[in-house]
Amino acid sequence: MIEVQNLSVRVGDTRAVRRVNLSIGAGERLGVVGESGSGKTMLALALMGMVPDGLTVDGVIRIDGNDLSRASETTWAAYRAQKIAMIFQEPMSALNPLRRIGDIVAEPLLVHQGISRNDARQKVLALFDETGIPDANRRLQQYPHQLSGGQRQRVLIALALACDPSLLIADEPTTALDANIALRITDLLVRLSRERQMALLFISHDLSAVSRTTEDLLVMYGGDIVERGKTRHLLASPSHPYTSGLLSARPRIEQNAGPRRLPTIPGTVPSLFDLPPGCRFAGRCDRELPICRATIPQPAATVSGGFASCHLLNQPSQDQTGQAPR
Amino acid sequence: MGYFLFRRTSGFILTLLSVSLVVFLVMNILPGDPTLSILGIESTEDARAVLRARLGLDAPLAERYVTWVFHALQGDFGDSYTHGVPVISLIVERLPMTLSLALSGMALTVLLALVLGITAASYHKRPGDWGVMLLSQLGIAVPAFWLSMLLVLLFAVKLRWLPPGGFPGWDDPRAAVRALILPTVALAVVQSAVLARVTRSSALEVMRLDFVRTARASGFSRRRILWGHVLPNALIPIITIVGLQFAGLVTGTIVIENVFYLPGLGRLLFQSISNRDFLTVQALVMMFAAIVVTANFLVDIAYVLIDPRLKARSR
Repeated sequence: MIEVQNLSVRVGDTRAVRRVNLSIGAGERLGVVGESGSGKTMLALALMGMVPDGLTVDGVIRIDGNDLSRASETTWAAYRAQKIAMIFQEPMSALNPLRRIGDIVAEPLLVHQGISRNDARQKVLALFDETGIPDANRRLQQYPHQLSGGQRQRVLIALALACDPSLLIADEPTTALDANIALRITDLLVRLSRERQMALLFISHDLSAVSRTTEDLLVMYGGDIVERGKTRHLLASPSHPYTSGLLSARPRIEQNAGPRRLPTIPGTVPSLFDLPPGCRFAGRCDRELPICRATIPQPAATVSGGFASCHLLNQPSQDQTGQAPR
Repeated sequence: MGYFLFRRTSGFILTLLSVSLVVFLVMNILPGDPTLSILGIESTEDARAVLRARLGLDAPLAERYVTWVFHALQGDFGDSYTHGVPVISLIVERLPMTLSLALSGMALTVLLALVLGITAASYHKRPGDWGVMLLSQLGIAVPAFWLSMLLVLLFAVKLRWLPPGGFPGWDDPRAAVRALILPTVALAVVQSAVLARVTRSSALEVMRLDFVRTARASGFSRRRILWGHVLPNALIPIITIVGLQFAGLVTGTIVIENVFYLPGLGRLLFQSISNRDFLTVQALVMMFAAIVVTANFLVDIAYVLIDPRLKARSR
């Protein structure tokens, strides 16, 4: 239902997102992981037609067969909420503070579906029920500041679902929440995707949230997709050194493991305006080859059944098991 | 909300009391003898002393102040020296004129400022924005009395569309509205130029907030987002300035009423000062102060009505 080919987001000559291909069908759940600055939010905004002024989008974005890459703001507005909806990282500030919760969630229904206030109210109550907002009748009258973070995120989800979108983009929906609340939100998203046969694009830097939520996974680095595959297989046997780095940088509680220093990936994501000419991970990679700095690696099949863009996969003499070094 | 209202109301009363003290002291410290202006400079000292005693001007300052306040509270501001009638009746007669002018001026100010300010914000850093900013710069630079004269020359003298001045009273509403158009425009231009800038910057600030992105992601039209989501959230600084500007508008009527020959409080104040009509001046200044303080009182209440988060804090 959504298909993206060769999607790039450019700032002048620099690409914040570079030639991304992806497609998500009804009920499918795709994850995107990467550090801050890896281009994952920019990818999401491009899919909403909402990249900031001054940035240009190239490539094809097809929603239900219609190419929207050159669409006007008005055309995009007709797709938002009704075909693609999005929830954001900060539930604290993503709701209009002057409006009652009931009015906030009812607004897209009144605007896009033109139903009566009373019907909208019934629909909002049903949405509250579906997204697990208790005490729905009282909530209708409350203002955002009277709700907790988790409740606000549920309100945002209810708002996004109001017009029955076929794709929901969740950009770091759990980052601002406590761990146990985050868990419930991800479970809710999975359930909603199943029950509604709704496609889900789940963006996060949190690998455990992604592994709980998604079936397929894209790993982004510096605007590139460096590895893709089935979430379970990819996380079990990562091929790209960046994926391995992300995995080993995860805090874990292990039995009989003495105190250890949490491994990190040295350095930071390179600035968009200062990218290496070859592999964008060159310079931070612990398995760098001479070729890496000069040539952009092409996608190659991995042991996990997916693809990774890494020169290591094309080196016959090198370790090709794809197992991450520890 | 109850405590909030109590606090604001006591503040309101205290402010008016302090204003009355300042007004009374200033009027009595300033040089100029009312008996001299009533009886003329050829009058004898004896005659003036008799009049002074009759007007109660020979009593100590503190006693006169208390008497004045006490009477004023009962609506008695004394008799005008020049008109020979109770000051209060002079005011009641002219208040509708001034209030009509001030309120229509305020309405036009807010209307112009919101439309221009929101337009400028939505065309930020594009020609629409520059155009509005240029207009508002002009509006701020032009003095109201000069603009009034230009308006009269163009629309009354040359085009003959509107009367050049005077006010026929509200018995003939059509004529009254026609008479108010030019003074209202003259009054509103400067004020709306200032307010449009406040609206623009406040709206620009709000447009950066996350919930505006949520509204956009909900597929709402640009207009709905601007007027339905951005503007209400930008209102707090806007109405703060509206409250302050109302003071400017009310005092602005003094100039405008004189230019357009409108029988309002502003014109009465101007005449009373020229005539050393102390009691009338005192009452009028109190009147203007009360109008301004009331406007700010209403603004304070408006804050709480606009923003539900303030209601929780104001208890």
